Amino acid sequence: MAELTYREAVAAGIAQEMARDDRVVFLGEDIAAAGGVFKATVGLLERFGPVRVRDTPISEQAIVGAAMGAAMTGLRPIAEIMFSDFLAVCWDMVANEIAKARYMSDGQIECPLVIRTANGAGSRFGAQHSQSVENWAMAIPGLKVVAPSTPADVKGLLAAAVRDPDPVLFFEHKSLYATKGEVPDGEHVDELGTARVLTRGDDVTIIALAAMVPRALAAAERLKDEAGISATVIDLRSLVPLDTKTILAEVARTGRAVTVEENPRLCGWGAEIASIIAEEGFWNLDGPVLRITTPHIPLPSADHLEDLALPSVGRIFETVRATLD
Amino acid sequence: MPQLGETVSEGTVTIWHKKPGDAVSPDETLFEVATDKVDTEVPAPTRGVLAEILVQEGETVEVGTRLAVLRVEGEDAAPAGPETAAAAPAAATASVADATLAAAARAAGGAPPLSPAVRRLLAEHGLEAADSSGTGRGGRIKPGDVRDFIAAGGKPTATEPEVEEPAATGEDTELAVRETAPEPEPEPEPEPEPEPEPASVPDRTHTPFNRLRRRTAAHMVRSKATSPHVLQAVEVDFHNVAHARQALGPGWKQAEGFSLTWLPFVARAVCQALADFPKVNASIEGDALVTWRDVHLAIAVDLDFDGLVAPVLRDAQTLSVAGLARAIHHLARRARAEELSPDDFSGGTYTISNSGAFGTLITAPIINQPQVAILSTDGVRKRPVVIEGEDGDTIAIRPIGVLAQSFDHRAIDGAYSAAFLNRLREIIEASDWTKNFD
Repeated sequence: MAELTYREAVAAGIAQEMARDDRVVFLGEDIAAAGGVFKATVGLLERFGPVRVRDTPISEQAIVGAAMGAAMTGLRPIAEIMFSDFLAVCWDMVANEIAKARYMSDGQIECPLVIRTANGAGSRFGAQHSQSVENWAMAIPGLKVVAPSTPADVKGLLAAAVRDPDPVLFFEHKSLYATKGEVPDGEHVDELGTARVLTRGDDVTIIALAAMVPRALAAAERLKDEAGISATVIDLRSLVPLDTKTILAEVARTGRAVTVEENPRLCGWGAEIASIIAEEGFWNLDGPVLRITTPHIPLPSADHLEDLALPSVGRIFETVRATLD
Repeated sequence: MPQLGETVSEGTVTIWHKKPGDAVSPDETLFEVATDKVDTEVPAPTRGVLAEILVQEGETVEVGTRLAVLRVEGEDAAPAGPETAAAAPAAATASVADATLAAAARAAGGAPPLSPAVRRLLAEHGLEAADSSGTGRGGRIKPGDVRDFIAAGGKPTATEPEVEEPAATGEDTELAVRETAPEPEPEPEPEPEPEPEPASVPDRTHTPFNRLRRRTAAHMVRSKATSPHVLQAVEVDFHNVAHARQALGPGWKQAEGFSLTWLPFVARAVCQALADFPKVNASIEGDALVTWRDVHLAIAVDLDFDGLVAPVLRDAQTLSVAGLARAIHHLARRARAEELSPDDFSGGTYTISNSGAFGTLITAPIINQPQVAILSTDGVRKRPVVIEGEDGDTIAIRPIGVLAQSFDHRAIDGAYSAAFLNRLREIIEASDWTKNFD
């Protein structure tokens, strides 16, 4: 085991896969010579050379289009979209081409690529550089969607994503890049579509993703200390495939479910989970499923306003405490 | 309750935008009201704090009833800090859920409702919940309470029974859950009858009236109950109007963006005829007939088969055919876009109901209270008619339409109404409409 930062785990995961498989290539804006604007891909150019690690012009459509073509013709590309907000610029290729190529070609054309991107808020980057858009990807059939919260999950799930024959959208969280965690030595490959139960309690099941996971854990601590409420916290890790088995089992045990979502309220990923619980876990519910989300607004740049908008530890604590008896 | 319209006597509070304790700014929407004709938002008259709500959402009260108490404050409320603001959304979420819980409890007759998990546990173990307590908020039974009861073997827990009750042995229980009575032996069932084939389309569909439908229904019944209706009709030769429409229509459509119909011509003729027959432009007040100097013409507008409203075109007698055409068009557009206010429905003195688009022959319209008469225009169709001339009679093909008036026989008699209709017909048939256009 070694302690790595989240950003170091990104580079380590890419390196692991590029070393294993010559077909893995990597492209994006400033990912090579500069090591990435978030310094998440330092050292890769030096290790693997300019043919396999390429800086691109500022064109999301060129980046994803090239990755798509490379994937369709036998390579295993990793493409970076610097800010997840700008997936919107190349969304036609992601949603209409990459996601559907296998289906529409009856399996003759595959897109085994990974698009990794910096998602989420907390860095005061304002409305167009802070969005949580993993739910956009969840809504397109044909894509896998991953959002790790720890360095170990970054490395392991990125490796699994590269090895996956389907297109995977890999949402790193920009405010987690500096966080640290233990990462297994040697080859580390995790499994897409599996959630992890981080802590188990009896009173409520809190379901969180990415940067909301540490906040949910902190809120669970406060709930235990200050309100005598014991909470189960689930880190979803993947939205597609979704680990409904774990979700339903843990909600059955406590009878209460609360989601903590950084995305704006409407059609956030928690709405889908609430609907699944309402349909398949209804007779285990002891109270309404609650969603704690950012309100349905563009995110502010001002620091105190951004902090107000996102689900805070305080808001998670208050909401859960108020709803339980 | 404000008076939102001349004949409006009551209103329903539909939504309170503020609750007691909320600060209120001037012109901020305080509540919404639904009346006979229109729904509208009512702003706060001044800055203050909503101290008390006297009339709740859904209640209908007479005009003039006190709805709420607004306490006028000197200083603004202190701005909320981040902690309070962060807690507010949490409290809001929790209070919505609590409100739902409380509403469900009221619906269940006071006892906190049983959650799905509790119902399932009770059903799985053949238990019933009686009306009293579990350990949850407000005495709510929680799944843990049922599990504890089952684990305790359904026996009473080791606490003191209620003081009033006699010291009984195994009958008092901490959790009011009792076994359901064992089912009696079922009678041997008779042969079940074969089920009828289910219909693929239901034979009846139950659609509750919306608000407009309900109000329209009430108004129509009231109108017929108030006024003794008499129907009179004339056949009108629209030859000269057709001539004008043909000459001016295309240019009009190009310039104004909508078609020139028969209606503005009829409306102009109505205004002119009413000037000669003022008793038709009137209302009854007690035992008196009140005639109006001005013609405020109500035009019935159908809202895509989804309701009928009759907004008022004020001082219609001052408008030319062109002016009427524009005014009617805008009124109809605003009606369909739901942009009308209570003022748009008040003060009408005569009504025209135009069903002609569908080619009907004649309609007996219902008087728009408190007016005394209403005109219906129906389909205009080419018919062969006899034209009398000095050299004998000829047959010509003319556009003919029936104009039918329902009048209130308390106010006027048949002869007067007939004379009015005759005048109306004369004006339409004899005017040079190309010259008398704008």
